[in-house]
Amino acid sequence: MSDRNNRVPFDEDNYTHNINRNNERMLDRRGFMKTLAGAAGVFAISSLPWGAVAAKELLGLGEKEYPHQKIVNVKDIAIGDSVDFNFPSEHDSAILIRLSDKRYVAYQNACTHLRCPVYWVKEEKEMVCPCHHGKFDAGTGAPTAGPPRRPLPGIQVEVSNGGVYAVKVKRYEA
Amino acid sequence: MKRSYVGVLLLCTILLLNIVFTQLMVHQFYYEHYATTLVYGGLNILLFPIALLIYRKEKHKGGTHGHEQ
Ligand code: FES
Repeated sequence: MSDRNNRVPFDEDNYTHNINRNNERMLDRRGFMKTLAGAAGVFAISSLPWGAVAAKELLGLGEKEYPHQKIVNVKDIAIGDSVDFNFPSEHDSAILIRLSDKRYVAYQNACTHLRCPVYWVKEEKEMVCPCHHGKFDAGTGAPTAGPPRRPLPGIQVEVSNGGVYAVKVKRYEA
Repeated sequence: MKRSYVGVLLLCTILLLNIVFTQLMVHQFYYEHYATTLVYGGLNILLFPIALLIYRKEKHKGGTHGHEQ
């Protein structure tokens, strides 16, 4: 045995000397089960924030009113035109569309598919997402074509003394 | 070699359910069905103790390995 290692290469009488046995049992049956149990734990923990936010919404804590924000002057937006704005925070881009004389609609314009910015096509009276040609109904925010499945979250608007104001983010009825 | 794979299969099933529930939870959240979101989240959390239980029970079961015979 001892003189074998002095000859390189020594005569082989088996084919196992080159198997590295370190960590051989790292992922045996038990280790694998441990990993799976750990994964279940990770899933459980990662469900917590979703649950927390959902519970908060259920308790009505999410229903907060934001300070009214002026979007445009009524005279600056013609019927059939749209304006982009940010509401409720400056990171939430939104779009206001004047559908008729008295009717204004506003939506959060992040596409409900993969959050591309949706824009208003005046000629076709539709909101279109450039990324995968998703389309939304301007009157309701409901998806009408393409990959999006959920409606765009509406923003309640109010017209007072010559200006259009964003009041709050509507919870859409799904 | 005789091995017990029941535990492994059960835990794999739990992982599958975890993935399914998480998917459903996230979708229900974005649909704003918050009560349903909570249900799926709860199920997800419930699966963890079950997984631990199965692991504890199955830990020492299973294979006599070739060299241990
Ligand atoms: S991101 Fe809008 S359709 Fe895909």
